Amino acid sequence: MAYNRYRYGPPALKSSVDVQLQSAFSDGNWSAVIRLAAKRFATLKDPYYEAIRVSTEAQLQGTAEKCAVLVHVDELVRSKKTPDIDTLDLYEWACQDFIGYEIDFAETFGPLRARWVKANASSPMASSCLQGCLEQWDLVSAQQIAATLDKTYANTTDRRYMFWNITLTFLLSISPQCTEASRKVYSLLTVRQLQKAADITENSEKLEKTDRGLLTEEEVCLYYRVLLSHGTKEEFLARLRSPKLGAISQLKQGHKLLFCECLDALETWGEWDTIYELCRDALKLGLDGSTTPFFVCDLRIWKMFVSRALDEVQEVLKQFIELKDKATPMYKKNISLALLETTFKLPSTTINPDHEDTALSPKVVQIGLFLDQYYERFAAFDDVKGYVAELGYEEAKTFLEDVLPKIPGENPTKAQQIIIKALECRLRYTLTTCPQTLSPHPTVVEGTDQGKPFQCRVCSNLAKSPCEGCLRKLIIDAADAHRQITSDKELLAAIPKLDRDPRLDLALVMGNSLLKLSGLRPGLPNFGQSLWQDVQPDILLQAVLLLDTQLKVTPNDNGLRLLLVQLYLLFGCASYAHQLWAPLDVKRTIQDALSPLFFDRISSISPGLFQGTRPLMEPLRAYYTQSLRDPSPVRIWDAFSSGSYTSILDMAEYDKKLRTSCTLVMTLVEERRATRLFGGKLDVDIDDHILASESPADIVEDTTLVHKTDYGSFPSLESANGPPIQEFIRLGPGPSQYLDLLTYTPPKDYKPSKAAEAAARDKAYALETLTRINTSLTDLLHKPSTPKLLTPAETNYYTALSLLSALVLTAISLPKSETSVPKIVSQTTQPLKTTLTTLRTGLLSPKSTVPATTQQAISSLCDMPSFASVRDVAFAVKLSAAFVLSHHEKETARDKSGKSGLHKEVVAEMKALESAAAKTLGEAKGHVGVLKGVMNESGWLDKLLDVVLGEEDREMGELTEKVSEIVEGRGGAEEWAGKVVDGWREGVKGWGMVKFE
Amino acid sequence: MANFRRFRPDDLNKLSKCNLDPLTETYELSFYLQYYAKWPSLFQVAEDENGNIIGYIMGKLESSPDVYKFSEHYLPWHAHITAVTVAPEARRLGIGKLLTEQLEAAGDAGNAWFVDLFVRKTNCKAIKFYESMGYSIFRVVKEYYGDHSTDPTQDSEDAYDMRKPLKRDVKKEHIRADGEKHEVDPTDVW
Repeated sequence: MAYNRYRYGPPALKSSVDVQLQSAFSDGNWSAVIRLAAKRFATLKDPYYEAIRVSTEAQLQGTAEKCAVLVHVDELVRSKKTPDIDTLDLYEWACQDFIGYEIDFAETFGPLRARWVKANASSPMASSCLQGCLEQWDLVSAQQIAATLDKTYANTTDRRYMFWNITLTFLLSISPQCTEASRKVYSLLTVRQLQKAADITENSEKLEKTDRGLLTEEEVCLYYRVLLSHGTKEEFLARLRSPKLGAISQLKQGHKLLFCECLDALETWGEWDTIYELCRDALKLGLDGSTTPFFVCDLRIWKMFVSRALDEVQEVLKQFIELKDKATPMYKKNISLALLETTFKLPSTTINPDHEDTALSPKVVQIGLFLDQYYERFAAFDDVKGYVAELGYEEAKTFLEDVLPKIPGENPTKAQQIIIKALECRLRYTLTTCPQTLSPHPTVVEGTDQGKPFQCRVCSNLAKSPCEGCLRKLIIDAADAHRQITSDKELLAAIPKLDRDPRLDLALVMGNSLLKLSGLRPGLPNFGQSLWQDVQPDILLQAVLLLDTQLKVTPNDNGLRLLLVQLYLLFGCASYAHQLWAPLDVKRTIQDALSPLFFDRISSISPGLFQGTRPLMEPLRAYYTQSLRDPSPVRIWDAFSSGSYTSILDMAEYDKKLRTSCTLVMTLVEERRATRLFGGKLDVDIDDHILASESPADIVEDTTLVHKTDYGSFPSLESANGPPIQEFIRLGPGPSQYLDLLTYTPPKDYKPSKAAEAAARDKAYALETLTRINTSLTDLLHKPSTPKLLTPAETNYYTALSLLSALVLTAISLPKSETSVPKIVSQTTQPLKTTLTTLRTGLLSPKSTVPATTQQAISSLCDMPSFASVRDVAFAVKLSAAFVLSHHEKETARDKSGKSGLHKEVVAEMKALESAAAKTLGEAKGHVGVLKGVMNESGWLDKLLDVVLGEEDREMGELTEKVSEIVEGRGGAEEWAGKVVDGWREGVKGWGMVKFE
Repeated sequence: MANFRRFRPDDLNKLSKCNLDPLTETYELSFYLQYYAKWPSLFQVAEDENGNIIGYIMGKLESSPDVYKFSEHYLPWHAHITAVTVAPEARRLGIGKLLTEQLEAAGDAGNAWFVDLFVRKTNCKAIKFYESMGYSIFRVVKEYYGDHSTDPTQDSEDAYDMRKPLKRDVKKEHIRADGEKHEVDPTDVW
């Protein structure tokens, strides 16, 4: 992705150039320009005309003409003379396609521009040179230019030059562009410059614009950022309390940024006393009129403040409570939450000296008082969830049974009652995820493991975590409340006036409880091999049916929609998941954080989605192409020209993260996987891909990718004691570059003149790449964190690739004359054969005939990622064997002496592997055919509904009955079943297009 | 429940509560970063306890280009509200008002004459909200929007250009009582 400053046209020619040449140039009439420029040069001897000619020739098609300018640029760099700025502009325009490839800006135009600025520092063009270097993210040259400008404009009213210099010196000091030798110098230089400036500010009575002190909020914050990075903690803490540049002093001037950033730093260091003092002083500013009363009345500040010195906290809080009537609802609520927080932070001996777990404790009372004001509000549950989860068992029981029901008063309306019921159900669900509701209980009774290591304190039953009995009871209660709403016209009429539809909350409680009851667990051991080995399909599908039914009622609830998208992906119904995903309109900037929720591993679930009219990943690709088009962070010059120094630092950091984003890599991996599945050709290795290989953040093997998926909108009923619901329903990623080598074919115009030499090079390339891949995969598989990141299916796949790379490496490097074949051959071929057999028998064999039951068919349909891994492993084995055998044939044909080629045992092993892989692929193809046949059978709606709601003539269990009531029976669920079956059919259809040969 | 602070680019990864709402537009990265680069103090966010953004305001400080200096439509140095949004779950708590007040304070700090904004003529709720905060209609921009929010048969909709004077406008010279009678074309808006 070459940077192109002249994207919108060439630079203007000097005004001294005659009209004829100017017109030809602006018309793009290059042949006329070349002719005229040569003529003018001959007459006037002005080298600028020669530069016009050379630069214009670079616009022609011929390689020689195009490249001539490179020689001129090289001469300029070497000459050490000050170049002509207009010539530089022309050359940079002419070289636009070469920058980043044939020539490095930081070694050519950057130093040339810096050289020019040094000689012409007061020219208005100097800033433009700085801009040019920044747009190329050449920090070395940019810093040199900024230093020159600072020197030239020292003590002028334009303070930006000084701070450009400091900012760029700092950026360079933390950049890989800086040599290790210079890093210390630049770091020290930045700190010293800013320390000097800070001292000037502290010691001046009134700072003038021309003084080299710190004046604006941005300048002050820059100082602290640098101090944080290169200074000492002691210095930071000392300055934080200073009378002019301290955080409190800045707050008095209406500057909150420094205060917030200092709290971040102090939190990292665990400086709780300083945090407490800062928060106290900041809050008091609002009370004594130094700032507006609620300037720092944020919940975060309160939470930090209430962690210390009780009396003082209560005094400050009391004063704010007195001011509460003047506050906006937001701050009123923050103050109420601060009060709640204070109660929970008080030592138990203070609030309850006699007994900690007294039922009606001050904590319970305070939650009740808070809910008195806020129980009807949208966020009431989120506000109190954490506090309820902290209550002791007796407290929680009292709260739910005695306090909560009384909150709406003596004569509550029906709507108020149902709001309380929904809140109660949600909080009960949260408590099922809290350890205080369970007591340890011996799991082995009379020599038999009961598998239930707890006794539930709520229902007294023996339980696992969470208690299944409580979840069942919760579903029944929530279902009853739900039915109560839907059967009551008065309640239904009241819902639009409420902050939140209680049916949604009740459905989420039921849905989440069913998901837990189905057996879903985070990082399930066999997750990915077969979902149904650990999960009960009927209960899982009931959860989905119920939540889907709710979505029809509350289609604008994005949390519910996202939950359903992930659930449908989980059981292979990707086309319907896509239908649910589309209305969210995830586009442009939010794609980076949200797209993994739908696109991650999508190619292995449903390759058919890639066959649409618009390429599936196109919006993501377009976003990255647009946002990472230039080497510099987007809009960075705007921040420089506006003097927004902290913005510069943040934008540089954000840009770095975006270039190493997991979502970016996911985009490339999914596209490439889909291409492979359909037998398409990959143009380049993934690490050479234009979006992954560009400076300044070239993605290489040891690059740490940045994962920032936004789960903020997901419904969150769980307590902090356990993983959030998305952990239960998520699938995992895994890119690979292995197949790129095996499908590599030389470009058509590559015609080596010496076959032996070319063969040696090919072999060297293959050996080098295989070694790299083998090392990379071995490292990956041996990392302690890897098992958590891969599903077993993926582990199989990567293990197979690791073995294959080792095998191929040995196979093509082993001399034919070798008498004994190294053990590594059998050590790799044997496990590969076993893997193929296991995969075939595990996934294919029982289902290679028409599935005996609907559940078996559904099991296969839901398990396409595992199926994809079978196909991928078999294909990798096949390609590897073909690669080795083809190498053998080529060598034998090229070298008639019989010395080249592979060892005969290796050839035999490879043929055996090729045959095993072909067999597996054949069976895999057959498997798709079987699934297609099964899906074409009639009666699928009934079959699915039989699984979910039980067969029509059989009695339903209590839970199923409740679910059935909510979805209005089989009739009500038919439409849903139709969508699911269509989704599966679409998926199978897509697999029918996948290449298996 | 909420913290107010200046926007930072990492917030773009936490926008789902606001931007999945169909009434909130999602822009290209360069649009957000342009505001952050040029007017960081006019880009404020409200975040919840988990760092999710539940409201934000983006604004700028500018005047009309010099070339229009003598036009009757020339706008002197002023703050402009480009976008303000609050997540559905955080509404009715005054977050929009607080964000707007913060932008006004930044406008005062930047010595602006007034704050202005455009709002659809049919968006009565928003108009009422701004009026409650001291904004008044300064002019009507005819057919400013290329679609109509309530009437699908129409292909355009007028905008109200609403203003609130800031501290610098001591004499209240930049507002008028009969703004609804002053109609301009979109081409007069720069």
